[in-house]
Amino acid sequence: MRVIARGRGLVRTFGSGRAALTVLDGVDLELRAGELVAVVGRSGSGKSTLLHLLGGLDRPDEGTIELDGVRLERAGEGELARLRREKIGFVFQAFHLLPELSGVENVLLPARITRDRAALRRGRELVEQLGLDGAGARLPVVLSGGEQQRLAIARALVNDPLLVLADEPTGNLDPESGANVVELLQRVAESGKAVLVVTHEANVVERADRILRLERGKLS
Amino acid sequence: MAAVLAYAWARARAHRGRQLLALLGVIAAAAMVGASVTIAATLSGGFDRTAQRAGLPDVLATFAPLQRGRVAHVVSQLANVRSASYVLQEPGVHVNSGNDYEGHAKLFGVGPGRHGYAVVAGHDIDGPGQAVVEAGFARAWRLHVGEQIGVQFDRGEELRIVGIAVPPDTVAFPLTNGPRVYADYEDARRIDGAAPGVVNGVDLWLADPRLIDVTLAQARSASFGVAGLQLVTRTGLKLLIGQAAGIVIAVVVAFSLIALLVACVMLSAAAAAEVQRRLTSIGLLRAIGVSARTVVAAAAVEATALALPAATLGVLVGWLAVQGSADRLLASLNELPPGSSLALLLVASILGLTLLVVAATCWPSWRATRRPPVEVLRGGDVGHTARRLPLPPAFPLLGIRLVLARPARAAATIAVVGFAVSVVLAILAIATVLENLNKQPLSVGKRYQLLVDAPPSQLRKVTELPQVAAATPFYSLDVADSFALDEPFTLDAFGAPPPAYETPPLVSGHLAHSPDEAEVGVGLAEALGLHPGAVLAAQLPNGREVRYRVAGIVQALEDQGRIAYVETPHLLAAEPELGGQIAVKLRPGASAAAVTQALARTGAVTTSSGGIAGQSVQGWASRSSGFIGILVALLRTVAVLDVCVCLYAVGQALALTSQERRRTLAVVRAQGAGRLHLFAVFGVASAFLVALAWGLAALLERWAVAPGVAHLAASYVVLALSAGGQLLALTLAGLLLGAALVSVVLVRSIARQPVVVGLRQD
Repeated sequence: MRVIARGRGLVRTFGSGRAALTVLDGVDLELRAGELVAVVGRSGSGKSTLLHLLGGLDRPDEGTIELDGVRLERAGEGELARLRREKIGFVFQAFHLLPELSGVENVLLPARITRDRAALRRGRELVEQLGLDGAGARLPVVLSGGEQQRLAIARALVNDPLLVLADEPTGNLDPESGANVVELLQRVAESGKAVLVVTHEANVVERADRILRLERGKLS
Repeated sequence: MAAVLAYAWARARAHRGRQLLALLGVIAAAAMVGASVTIAATLSGGFDRTAQRAGLPDVLATFAPLQRGRVAHVVSQLANVRSASYVLQEPGVHVNSGNDYEGHAKLFGVGPGRHGYAVVAGHDIDGPGQAVVEAGFARAWRLHVGEQIGVQFDRGEELRIVGIAVPPDTVAFPLTNGPRVYADYEDARRIDGAAPGVVNGVDLWLADPRLIDVTLAQARSASFGVAGLQLVTRTGLKLLIGQAAGIVIAVVVAFSLIALLVACVMLSAAAAAEVQRRLTSIGLLRAIGVSARTVVAAAAVEATALALPAATLGVLVGWLAVQGSADRLLASLNELPPGSSLALLLVASILGLTLLVVAATCWPSWRATRRPPVEVLRGGDVGHTARRLPLPPAFPLLGIRLVLARPARAAATIAVVGFAVSVVLAILAIATVLENLNKQPLSVGKRYQLLVDAPPSQLRKVTELPQVAAATPFYSLDVADSFALDEPFTLDAFGAPPPAYETPPLVSGHLAHSPDEAEVGVGLAEALGLHPGAVLAAQLPNGREVRYRVAGIVQALEDQGRIAYVETPHLLAAEPELGGQIAVKLRPGASAAAVTQALARTGAVTTSSGGIAGQSVQGWASRSSGFIGILVALLRTVAVLDVCVCLYAVGQALALTSQERRRTLAVVRAQGAGRLHLFAVFGVASAFLVALAWGLAALLERWAVAPGVAHLAASYVVLALSAGGQLLALTLAGLLLGAALVSVVLVRSIARQPVVVGLRQD
């Protein structure tokens, strides 16, 4: 299957001198279209850092990242912003819905940034498909965790990205809501997108096509 | 404490950009304060300062030439006189130096003792062949001590300049018609061609200046038979010279004080905002057991370390920005700069500003330490206070949503900026009025704009014109005091109570409201010894007399204050054939030119109501474009500094919003928003704040600030200060441009930070 994203020799160190901490120490990975990949590891092992590097939210100290043929480590901030707009969707553990916007407005936010009418239409369809009509009209503060996370996933899919990156998407949810979210991510992967999930939840790992373990800065 | 300070230092090093922004804010506000204090201290009290240094006499008397012995005899009869100095004055003297020539110089022959001027270079006259020239003259002709100057009247002599002086009893050359040259009495007498021992002026210093009224009454009585006696008091001079800059100086000083207030409000807001940013760290310090006192003390030390150098730099910048203009303005008024007292005030301003920032930092810090640490640890989280706003869903409007997530802060920002911008609008309106002075003279103390050269029988025709608000018959004639026929004065009579058409500031008594009452100018009151309740008896040209009861003494500028304002009935009864004019008040916003044209079609000739030009010192001052230019420059400097502080306030509010909402912004960036998108968000937010503040400012300016200033000015002039459409549009454009620049700077700082940094703020 087509390789969507590829990382080679990724190194990321925080701090400097004696306080330096290398959380990624030569990580290699490939993400293909249609697969759901789970990255597991202990807290502080660098799972989220790896996800941030792949999503162009942070830059590696060493190594290369290629997303749909574009080298991220060489890209400027403007180019990275474009890639995040067009090719990447993010799902966060804490949902990160904007508190002033209704559920639907949160979902449609990326489409409003790109001013893409097709994306706006797609966003509304997603809200409907996910059964979030009622939730979509309300502010996030009055929504359940499950509803918020489903809206966050819908937001990640609005611009029809190639790569969906989810950082502990079930971490703040009860088991039932978590199961629903995992099922949703699985459907996203089946639709032809590459999905990378950082997690330490067993129910997510069970459903993953591939499991990568991050230990002492290396993937195994 | 040391550990907390070390943490504060580490935080400051880690957030250099933010520290720099805070530093710039204090510098901007301090610059405004420095400029305001410099203007206020320099311009206010200039006359008193100079009069004190010069030893200005309490009474200056001039009269027809007399033998000095005769004058000394009169002076010796005055009980309250401490010392006297006799002068021979001659106007219209010719002076030349190199290629320069002036035919209207005023030569003063002075004897030993005090002379009522302050020598600012060289020394005073101590022998024959010497001259002291006034500072304005020396500046204009580039004269220096040691140079020769030719002085000629009846005969010519070359005098050596030994000193340069500032005489506070007049404004400086070239605002005056002729420069002053002081010479030894005998030299001056020879040049003048006067007989030996003749003088025509005496300066009196009183033992108790509070008893000046008694001394003046004695002087008038003792001077029976002295021709052309005119008495001018130090108080009268202060009124005259002090009004040389008139409303303008009063308004500049008033606005400087307002600007000072605005700067203080903004500094407090900025300091409080900085603490808001640090709420999380305050909560953390409290959580690990640091005492509230230590937290507050550390905040105080940190605020002092930031505010003291910034306030010093800012105050110096403000002082440098306006000091040159203010000193030039003073020099043109023959007034001395404040010297070391200004330095003390500036140091006090620095300390005051520092204390303000420290207090504004400590107060919210102390309040934060009163709250449970867990609550403070949540910092600026606004998630639970979000509300749905009925705004279109367009992405750039997110900025407005973010700003309105803190409605109280947004309202405070809009209120403070609105107030400051209203001041800016009023300052710029005054500057515009000043710039137009030469073309459209202000009516000093007058509430009517036009005088129509038409008989009062035409009154109805004039009143019916659409742009005319009111009109009344007006008569002005030269009369003499019935008790002292050598004291001529002007009698201005209106068909309505005088206050409706003339509003010079009241010194004592009350305004005239009946046909039996008169308002009397200070100059006339001093010349005739009039006071409220006294009788003013005016001898008309036809020999008849009209009498009025003096209702009040007013600071009239016309004819050096030798004027009285009355109603017409008694005057017309005594002189029925008196030819008059019509005084016309225009409606607000009416075009004087249009009314003049309409009247011209009826055959009536129209003139302005006299305006600022005339015989007053203010007239000389105002005719000088240099003088006006300096004042306009001062006003615009204050306005620009005020706008800078406004923009800083907007920037501070947005920076605080971006800081509190860094996670939101990180999420938006994670969705693909680039710099342009962020600029759209903050550009719209800043434009929103600025536009609302501007709207508020326009309302405030029209309904509060302008009427307030106009009221303040009403004692001098009738000002139409409302900002016009062009000025409003210009101010809005400037503010929007500034807001856009603020947004660019902010977005640059946001985009410089990796997205993950914002996402980690959970």
